[in-house]
Amino acid sequence: MSCADTKDKPALYQRVVLKNASPYHYMKVCLVLEDESTRLSAVNLKQFIISGLDSLYGEAGAALNFDLLKYDEDTLTAFLRVYSKGLVKLWSSLTLLSLYQKQACAFRVLQVSPFLLALTGNSRELQLD
Amino acid sequence: MATELERTPRCLLVSERSGFLQENNRLLSQQLNFNYKVSVLLPDCGSAPSHLDAVLDGLNPFYLIRDLPVHELLETPSLQGVSALSYRTRLDEDNCVALLPNGHLSLSLDKDSFELLGVEGKPSRFSHKRNIRYVVSVDLTDSRMAPGGRGYQRLLTGLKSRLQLKTDFLLTHPPGGGASLQVLLSRYDWSEHRPEVSRRLLTDVCCPLMTSDLQSCDLKSCDPHHLLEWLGAVDANISCENASSSFLSSLCCPDPQTVTSALSVSVSGLLLPEDLQRILKQLRCHLEQSLSTWASLTVHGFVDSPVSWGVSEHGVLRGGENFYSLLLFPDQTYRIHLGTGAEDTCPP
Repeated sequence: MSCADTKDKPALYQRVVLKNASPYHYMKVCLVLEDESTRLSAVNLKQFIISGLDSLYGEAGAALNFDLLKYDEDTLTAFLRVYSKGLVKLWSSLTLLSLYQKQACAFRVLQVSPFLLALTGNSRELQLD
Repeated sequence: MATELERTPRCLLVSERSGFLQENNRLLSQQLNFNYKVSVLLPDCGSAPSHLDAVLDGLNPFYLIRDLPVHELLETPSLQGVSALSYRTRLDEDNCVALLPNGHLSLSLDKDSFELLGVEGKPSRFSHKRNIRYVVSVDLTDSRMAPGGRGYQRLLTGLKSRLQLKTDFLLTHPPGGGASLQVLLSRYDWSEHRPEVSRRLLTDVCCPLMTSDLQSCDLKSCDPHHLLEWLGAVDANISCENASSSFLSSLCCPDPQTVTSALSVSVSGLLLPEDLQRILKQLRCHLEQSLSTWASLTVHGFVDSPVSWGVSEHGVLRGGENFYSLLLFPDQTYRIHLGTGAEDTCPP
């Protein structure tokens, strides 16, 4: 963690700027399958992502710790949490995953942020029609 | 190779501690121009306070106008004091337009549209290796932009004949009432919308313990990232009760923690800063009168707004977040955390 700027003033006021201090990055992803009626459980999905890490980065890559925070079985949409240092590995594994049990698939990365809070307020979801 | 794989985009978080009664209180300057969503969390609260409910039911509506030509933003005097933002335009792909109440007009354009428009602009900070986006910023209250002036005519001609840009717009309610917009609205397809309010009562939820010791502790020692993560988990209805040995997730509530009930309220739409101030005022009153030891208010800006705080350019590369989260305490002090995207300038 590095502090870019700290201003201390008398009384209560304090300001701290934290740069590159977020330990985690969060991803909102959606799995698109060739057969849209296919359903996966949360455990299956996590195992599938681990297999993607394994095929691209080997056993050392598959040991990358990430969390499946939330999963919607109907829309196959998931919130993932990974250490910031592992973001590139996880994201690239998701990009290159193309087969699930012999059917074509793709991961759509809908949003990536160092703040989980940012994933809950995406204005692109605003529907007024 | 390993270092390249471990590199992450820049992450910026500003944390401030201050008080509402402080002379140098900077809260007003930290308001976003375009507010999409506000989330309120009240711990130890079984039902919404009646005054807060009244404010939520009385929020100002906003308008959606279809296919509005952008030159109308210059030619319509009744738009003074109104905020307008292009709707369903993506900042990293499409042309986006924003008009602020102080008369600042910001156009974020792709290269072809910028060259067609033919007015002065500058390359966007949010380009990759080559300049593919340009930003045109105009102060409509400047003397050079007065109707009939050279700058005004050049921009108007560009928008009317060279780049005939039209898009759907979201407009805030005008300060003097909706009647002043009727002439403009009558010429286009429009609809009025109310912000969507949702309330959730959470029972037996793990909350971080916010004590008076925490209020006075140093900002660097009370990790804001864990707090914001927990707030995000509550807002997204993500469970924080996971064992460290769980296969799926190890997310848990920051320590020290307590189990309590809480009220979560979300409002989304195009929200006026004045409405947010009214909600904030009610939260401060609630804290004075109730037994709650803290309350939280989080405001999200629009991802696709060309400006975030003030007239600072906002962009979307990997993410377009711009938000702030207020943690309020009964003694009229607060903590604010402002988060923004990787390439944005530092929040105020």
